[in-house]
Amino acid sequence: MTAMGTLLKRTSAAVLGVGLSLNTVSAETYMPNCYIPAEGNEKIIQYDAKEGPYRVALVNGHTGIPWREQMIQSVRAWADRPENKETIGELRVVSTGPDVAAQIAAVDNFIQAGYDAIAFIAVNPTAFDAVVRRANRTGTVLVSFDNPVDNDSILRITPNWVDFETIKAKSVLEQMSETSGRVLEIRGIQGNSTDRDRHIGVEQVLSEYPDVEVIEVVGNWDTGTVQRVTADAFAVHGQFDGIICQHGCRGVTNAMAAADHPAVPVGGDAENGYVKAMAGNQIPGISVSVSPGMGPLAVRAAVALLQGESFPSMANLPIPNVETADMVAGTHYYPDEPDTFETVTGYAACGEDMVFTPDELRTQTHASDS
Amino acid sequence: MRSSGIFKTQGRTLFAWGVFAILMGVFLSVHPRGASLGVFTTWSNQCAALALLAVGQTIVVLSKGIDLSIGPIMALANCIASHLVNGSPSEIAFGVVIVIATGAICGLINGLVVVVGKLQAIIATLAAGAIFTGLALLVRPIPGGDISVGLSDAMTMEAFGVVPSAVLVMLGAVALWYPIRRHPIGRSIIAVGSSEAAAEASGLNVARAKIAAYALGGVFAALGGLFIGFQTLSGDPSIGLTYTLNSIAAVVIGGTMLTGGAGSVVGSIAGALVLRTIGSLIFFIGLQPLAQPLFEGTVLLIAVSFGATRLLKIKNRMEVFQ
Repeated sequence: MTAMGTLLKRTSAAVLGVGLSLNTVSAETYMPNCYIPAEGNEKIIQYDAKEGPYRVALVNGHTGIPWREQMIQSVRAWADRPENKETIGELRVVSTGPDVAAQIAAVDNFIQAGYDAIAFIAVNPTAFDAVVRRANRTGTVLVSFDNPVDNDSILRITPNWVDFETIKAKSVLEQMSETSGRVLEIRGIQGNSTDRDRHIGVEQVLSEYPDVEVIEVVGNWDTGTVQRVTADAFAVHGQFDGIICQHGCRGVTNAMAAADHPAVPVGGDAENGYVKAMAGNQIPGISVSVSPGMGPLAVRAAVALLQGESFPSMANLPIPNVETADMVAGTHYYPDEPDTFETVTGYAACGEDMVFTPDELRTQTHASDS
Repeated sequence: MRSSGIFKTQGRTLFAWGVFAILMGVFLSVHPRGASLGVFTTWSNQCAALALLAVGQTIVVLSKGIDLSIGPIMALANCIASHLVNGSPSEIAFGVVIVIATGAICGLINGLVVVVGKLQAIIATLAAGAIFTGLALLVRPIPGGDISVGLSDAMTMEAFGVVPSAVLVMLGAVALWYPIRRHPIGRSIIAVGSSEAAAEASGLNVARAKIAAYALGGVFAALGGLFIGFQTLSGDPSIGLTYTLNSIAAVVIGGTMLTGGAGSVVGSIAGALVLRTIGSLIFFIGLQPLAQPLFEGTVLLIAVSFGATRLLKIKNRMEVFQ
């Protein structure tokens, strides 16, 4: 059995070598200011160039999340633009829900159906090794984003979460009136690697402020939960001098309004409701965004890979952010859009064509294929 | 009555395979690649875990029981596999044995609660399922772990480059069951499911037969969890969610009577293949995979209704018990 396993492993490795070449030469990769090679990344991903137009698939997992819906709308809007219609011959979007086996089946089906590239958000980032090897056998380009898979033989795109939360925490602490006091840290879903990395980012900044006391609570990235735990923290500890929230931060501004909490610096996400409340109530602080524009970036990277461009195996994204003093209506928040609208519609640092207007997204009414 | 009953059972099995053959024909004509080894491998990989669970569920149903914990057992086995089925060949072999033993023990617990505790199977196995899910979450709170890549390749690619290994896995499940079926244990499982009183009167050990059916069901559920591990190379405590209902649907489509005593694992495998092929068809026609539970539920309801039409024809209630 093992002899057979080793043999199969060798064969697949040999086949892999034909379809794509992996090397560790740190040559200039595609748009390095947008797809920033991650620290310590040495692997380069490159495939043999193919003629277009390409058949591209987007496989989403969880549904019913506004960020995901906007991400799918952005991908469709981008693929719909005249300049991209020529290269993308076909775009299929599917959402498979929380069942990892269904998601693997969907990716496998696209591989078997001969799609050129598949961009996906993994439900379970540890479950895709076998799929990646099957894709490499057939020469299908896979791009994993948002929740990067544990496999460095494909391109993975994600923000650097440590840096992400460092930017936020630094801004909050610098805007505080004193370098001492009490800070509330509102964390995400426990056990998730994103929450772990973001917490490390906060800890790194706080290590420079020995006189600041930190109270940690868990908000699960959910506005309702964040509001409840923030209100509880106010009730137990009284006032805070600064608040650092990972996601669902409209819950913080809501809780502050309800408790008449003084306008201390708050660091949070880029959902319209939160940014609107920050600007409207003149709460000092910062909005840091992980944009649904990551979807179109992943699809654009997939197309570039098909055209023979090279990428780092792990690419980090720019981190758009804006402090309260600089917030402008119609640019950083939208009075007429729902609270869940992600105000940063795309990554401007990656090109003007990667940003979308709310109207452009709204025309993509069908978030998923029907 | 007896001879026509046997004919009826085999007719149902043949019917399930007939439906499957038609669906497969449509699937291959819709598929952009058509019939090729790669397409068969992908398809059979999607079928194998459910087929294994369907076999397990069939054995329980044949004994006139039902196992609502079969999905959770599968998830627990998958999570344990993600800790143990890796490393050296002997470690892998040890891991596989432990995973299968876990399934057997879970099934045994189900059987004991039903037989000794005299609880209804639906309630007992539903509650046990919650316990097994809890254990799976303890074993692996978030998805992850490792499963031997070599073994995974051997089980999910093609054997000798010509047959998808997953097809051999499903054939192996049948090959595993038939000797048991011919053994006194297997015969008493079916006898008990057919008529408990008659089996008791004939001197068969009813309790032992029922417990054995649940334990065997647990073993096949564990094999299903192992196979999912080969597909995902990791463990996931939530993996079993949809499998319990699907395994029952496969059993019903395959022609096994939910009232016990009559049916075949070969039919249930056809049922599993029908469900999975419908899933693939939905995908390639362009419908959302999320619509699949709707179709599965509808198919299950229709299949159960067809099974119940027999009751409408009965003039004398006593016929049911003959």
